[in-house]
Amino acid sequence: MAKSAGLTAAREKVGRRSADSSKPPRYSAAGLLSRGARKTTWPRVWRDVPLQKTYDVVIIGGGVHGLATAYYLATNHGITNVAVVDKSYLGSGGSGRNTAIVRSNYLTPEGVAFYDRSLDLYNSMSLDLNINVMFSERGHMTLAHTDSALRTMNWRAEVNKLQDINSSVIGPEDVKKLAPSLDTSSDPRYPILGALYHPPGGTIRHDAVVWGYARGADHRGVEMHQKTEVLDILVEGGDGPDGKGPGGKVTGVRTSRGDISAPIVVNCTAGWATLISDMAGVKLPISTRPLQAAVTEPVKVFLPTVVVSGSLHVYVSQTDRGELVFGASVDPFNTYQVRGSLDFTEELAGHVLELMPGISRMRLLRQWAGLCDMTPDYSPVMGFTPVEGFLCDVGWGTYGFKAGPVSGEQMAECVATQQTPKLIEPFRLERFSTGKLVGEKGAAAVGH
Amino acid sequence: MLLVPCPNCGPRNASDLVYKGESHTRPDPNLVTEAEWRSYLYLEDNPAGWLRETWYCRSGCRRYFVLERDTTTNEFRNPPVPGAKIGGKA
Amino acid sequence: MSTSPSSPTRIDAQPGEVIDRSTTIRFSWNGTSMTGFAGDTIASALMANGVRVISRSMKYHRPRGYLTADFWDPNGFVQVGDDPNVRSGHRLIENGMDVEPQNVWPSLDHDVKAANGLVGRFLTAGFYYKTFMRPAKLWPQFEKVLATFAPGGTVDLDTPHRLHDKRYIHPDVVVAGGGPAGMSAALAAAEAGAQVVLVEHEHHLGGHLLWGSDADRAVVAHFASALEKAGVEVLLNSTVTGRYEDNWVAINQRSHPLAVERLIKARAKILVVAPGLIERPYVFAGNDKPGVMLSGAVRRLINLYGVKPGSKAVVLTANADGDATIADLERIGVDVHVVDARKGEGIVAADGPAKSVTSVEGADGTKIDCDLLVTAIGWTAPTSLLNMSGDRPVYDPQTARFFPGVDIDNVLSTGGIVGDGMLDEVIDHGQQTGRLAADRAAAVAHRLQAFTARATPVHGDEPEWTPDRRSELPRDAHPELFRSSTHGIVDFSEDVGSKDLFGAAAEGFDSVELIKRFTTATMGPAQGKLETVNTVAVLAEARGETIAEVGTTVWRPPYAPITLGALAGRIFEPVRVSSIQPWHERNDAVPILAGAWIRPEHYGDAAAEVRNTRENVGIIDVTPLGKLDLRGPDVPKLLSMLYTNKWMKLPVGSVRYGLMCAEDGVVLDDGVTARLGEEHYLMTTTSSGAATIWEWAENWLQTEHPEWQVHITPVTTGLTSINVAGPKSRELVGRLTDIDLDPQSFEYMQVRTGSVAGVENCIAWRIGFTGELSYELHVPSGHGLHVWESLLEAGTDLGVKPFGLEAQRIMRLEKGHFIVGQDTDGLTKAPSTGMSSLIKLDKDDFAGKAELGWAMEDVEAPIVVSIQTSDGTIVPREASQIVKAGTNEILGRITSSRMSPTLGRSVCLGQVAPHVSAPGTELTIVLADGTRTQANVMEHHAHFDPEGERLRG
Repeated sequence: MAKSAGLTAAREKVGRRSADSSKPPRYSAAGLLSRGARKTTWPRVWRDVPLQKTYDVVIIGGGVHGLATAYYLATNHGITNVAVVDKSYLGSGGSGRNTAIVRSNYLTPEGVAFYDRSLDLYNSMSLDLNINVMFSERGHMTLAHTDSALRTMNWRAEVNKLQDINSSVIGPEDVKKLAPSLDTSSDPRYPILGALYHPPGGTIRHDAVVWGYARGADHRGVEMHQKTEVLDILVEGGDGPDGKGPGGKVTGVRTSRGDISAPIVVNCTAGWATLISDMAGVKLPISTRPLQAAVTEPVKVFLPTVVVSGSLHVYVSQTDRGELVFGASVDPFNTYQVRGSLDFTEELAGHVLELMPGISRMRLLRQWAGLCDMTPDYSPVMGFTPVEGFLCDVGWGTYGFKAGPVSGEQMAECVATQQTPKLIEPFRLERFSTGKLVGEKGAAAVGH
Repeated sequence: MLLVPCPNCGPRNASDLVYKGESHTRPDPNLVTEAEWRSYLYLEDNPAGWLRETWYCRSGCRRYFVLERDTTTNEFRNPPVPGAKIGGKA
Repeated sequence: MSTSPSSPTRIDAQPGEVIDRSTTIRFSWNGTSMTGFAGDTIASALMANGVRVISRSMKYHRPRGYLTADFWDPNGFVQVGDDPNVRSGHRLIENGMDVEPQNVWPSLDHDVKAANGLVGRFLTAGFYYKTFMRPAKLWPQFEKVLATFAPGGTVDLDTPHRLHDKRYIHPDVVVAGGGPAGMSAALAAAEAGAQVVLVEHEHHLGGHLLWGSDADRAVVAHFASALEKAGVEVLLNSTVTGRYEDNWVAINQRSHPLAVERLIKARAKILVVAPGLIERPYVFAGNDKPGVMLSGAVRRLINLYGVKPGSKAVVLTANADGDATIADLERIGVDVHVVDARKGEGIVAADGPAKSVTSVEGADGTKIDCDLLVTAIGWTAPTSLLNMSGDRPVYDPQTARFFPGVDIDNVLSTGGIVGDGMLDEVIDHGQQTGRLAADRAAAVAHRLQAFTARATPVHGDEPEWTPDRRSELPRDAHPELFRSSTHGIVDFSEDVGSKDLFGAAAEGFDSVELIKRFTTATMGPAQGKLETVNTVAVLAEARGETIAEVGTTVWRPPYAPITLGALAGRIFEPVRVSSIQPWHERNDAVPILAGAWIRPEHYGDAAAEVRNTRENVGIIDVTPLGKLDLRGPDVPKLLSMLYTNKWMKLPVGSVRYGLMCAEDGVVLDDGVTARLGEEHYLMTTTSSGAATIWEWAENWLQTEHPEWQVHITPVTTGLTSINVAGPKSRELVGRLTDIDLDPQSFEYMQVRTGSVAGVENCIAWRIGFTGELSYELHVPSGHGLHVWESLLEAGTDLGVKPFGLEAQRIMRLEKGHFIVGQDTDGLTKAPSTGMSSLIKLDKDDFAGKAELGWAMEDVEAPIVVSIQTSDGTIVPREASQIVKAGTNEILGRITSSRMSPTLGRSVCLGQVAPHVSAPGTELTIVLADGTRTQANVMEHHAHFDPEGERLRG
């Protein structure tokens, strides 16, 4: 795949621009106290600066992936002349709509290695970014209701163990101990035969992750531009119409606020990945579907872990605020509409009450949807494309949030070194022409 | 819930039908190259706008048919003609 | 207790009251027994009993009293028995009701967490993002403390799933809201011939007319009887919770006589949205103190429930409703001090001890003593249902509220949400709306029927789509009042103040979406019904912009929270069973769930069942096997397309095994198909594959080869299937059938039809999944149980015993037969199964052909092999990984494993990398406990009888 010559130029400019020399204040309890006492407010999380005409790297999409890529470009590679553009506000897409579950108990060794790195980065994130992302290491349970589901759980556990991931299959008694609200009797239509238990999994405050990366990137000179919609990607010399497509070379992007020239453009969008890639003439194996979620009114905390049921297409966790957060599988047909549906809530409620019969009086407070870019093997498309200087970090399906930090780190390395890092080798676009799909397809079901 | 206009059964709740994805013409397996076949298998147009797609009326007439739907509004146009030759990789 | 029994606050009967003073209701509050009247809400009953403090706020645990005293009251959440978060302003009291305050610790009166209020200055919105980071080890402890602040009631995990129900309706018009506009619209639509459902959130029709004049109430009475006469279905205490695609309207009915709640799903041709307006609180210092109320709360309490909310009041009024509140208060003898915002007067603070208001500070510096502060400063238009239909509200500064911004064809609005005006103007607008709705409903009905033209002919042309020519309601000018010069609470549920919003905006969370996420304003149980506009207004102030420039957020469903029970309804989770199931149950079969089926796993001892089958004869109920009846001249072409092997020359009376692949070459299903007659075949699929394969076959027939003449009928449950297996199976079946079982004339892989145990039209074929001589019988389901019992009876002397799924799995594993989906997975292409001889690339076309051509050349694909451990007593658990010796490098996995009762040792199937797939290769298996054991790849798939002599016998 085409790599960019523009990077050498980008590297030479390292350090050309930097943020204000005055160091931004650190978040701390002491800071809260002194500002509380002096009745002063905190400075802006990220600066509001004018859009330049030229950047070394333009990142499309101000979600966790785009912001993490920008952050690691700046911190790990010293590339700071970077703009992150988003058509709405930061975190307005999947980053703010997911159910904020993180885990690394995947099925394939490559999946495990990748998500485990992500979990590491999440674990140290509060200190790295100096913002409390409220990582709640509360454990993650995937229930098995059939012997075939149990077999798949064992498969995952065995692969996980070989990679030193804390993951094992537990019986119904242990399930009951971890989550007393679950019906572990043998009566239900979907009896709980066991569960894949993954203690390091948990939840995290997704907005804080977005703001933390934005703030960290900003401190190092990266610019965040909200309400800046990409209308076109400028490509020269390609085989397709208007010089786009394979063989072409990126020269910049056209935005709702004017043209920007840049040798490297990274597509970090979700929901609109196809539309952005179309602008460069790159075709993707993606179909876009809404994923719905819902939250209940708060009640006193009773569910200490994350519970997932693949057979019942539901996952649930309780926030520290007491709300139950629910998700399910993606909607049954492609659409760019993000409205919630009634049938989703009906099915969800029915399935949740199968698992936890005692919560029928809890009230659903709000439902919403986000767009997911689904690929045939439930794995992303990362790295170079047939258009030089146009990179992708897309096709995340329902797993995008979990992978945000590691994707940013690896994409930054990919941009900076112009080599595909080992961790993302399996996710290259070429696999869809060689037919070597990623093995997560082997046990695809809902798997949050 | 979306109403899907089945050519035989009329408008039905989407839950009565099964979405089978974009409609593409199946290449001749004897002539196709690997790249062409995999592009047929895996690549999607995924437009934000009018899309030709295949549905199967699972709880009704059990016929496959092709519809045109705007993926930004979920509006249908050109009600399908039953029995017309259609493609699909479902 | 906050009760002061010495100051009874129930006043004399009011003309419009909805309580029945002749019926006393006993209930308890916070452990104290109290009384109220039938028709009282919990709120009105508590107020009548002098209770002023109802709850504690979420973050600062400040004492809170009623603010709106209706469904939306952010302070009125209570626990009623096992029901948490009950809206006490809406729920009616019942005898014996046990009402408890929520979110208090240790008690409502003395709340220890109220100390948080003292440090509130440091607990600014989002403070938790900025602290508790170090030491990292302590964060889990901090988290536990934060979690104790979770607001809300308590879930009793033993709560039963009471009767909930669902109903589907297809009305012409659904009207959401039973105020004057909604009633008028419903009546006009019905009189124009439409079938109408009118949904009212409250317990009575009438909306604000109920607490108005006698004349207002007469209008309500008139409509109530006219609606009944016109045949309008009126649903009280019911809420339109959502409008979804194509006017799929959700109605939460809480007033059903039998069901606790019912979810009504209406495919409305037209939805009329008439929810009225929701009164907006004012932001100022002390605005959340008990004793500060909105005008609507005061008017409802006085007029509907005869409750006196205070004795000395200050009323901040900016509109006619405020003025009417003053009149109401004065009428019942409350001393009122008026602060008229229209004259530039204002208030800056409510003062007093924590649990009450004792004085109000005016903008001019005056201090007025009082025990009640009422504000009437404007409205929020609850455009939720319109938002769900695609609307984006637009702010009108003259009227100080948002209005719908987009015309939607099949969703019409009327009443307060679109304007003001006198009562007759509102009723007239409702009437015009109702007529328009009826006209448009007729057009929609015609359009829907036209789509169904093949079933029912459509008569006439589509009625014209009536344009919207309604006269617009006037909009009354209203001063823009959002925040005083002081800071106060904006979101009462979330304890977010205007100061928090200013701080957040300064930090860069300065768009309405970001400020919401950062401060959690509008995210609480009222979902912004009270808070959104004030949040937007404060943000606009902080940014120095107009409200229109800042914009607003979009309300998401549901309109009002709805219980999981109501959404779930009766829980339907059907299972499938065979006609023999009663026998299995009588004979203590241990059941196992297999997809949608419940079937016997074993009858006590699977190993014994295996031994008996191998030595004598066993019978198994295999009804779940997918079965498709195929007829027509082109069946062989279809089979050739679906299976990888050849089918054009299968003779009548023969059975053949085949493998099906998807277009990507991945194994999809397998099974045998028999040719019963010239143009008649019976196909079997895996148990879980029947539905999929039927659709798959139809896809080929309908989309690629519509010229082929094949008719498919699914007969899975139409035929009960019994496999008779074992060396004595021929003798057993022979005792019951007229089919000639002579091995010379009825060979292995052949099929015959005839009678079995007196049942005609049975199908019998010889196949060998278990590896034994066996006859699979497919008999009409009505006689399945009879045939089963006859076999058992006829074979007593032969030692016939039933066997279950587990014994069958053991026997098939002994024979090395793979199971699709267990020994193969979502990436296993056909050559990996070792069945390459069944892939006939010389056929013109078949599903997966292109991909399989390349897959045959693939030297990296894993291979399914039989494996035996060196130590035969070890049974590696299924999914055990096969690794490169001395490393953690994965080379494959065990996909099936069992202890073989026949061989007295463990037997396995596994998928391994091709370079370790040769017979004799030594493998290392990681066991569940982490230890490793050695194993070998076997020469044959079959561990037992590799030549197949037994089954061909």
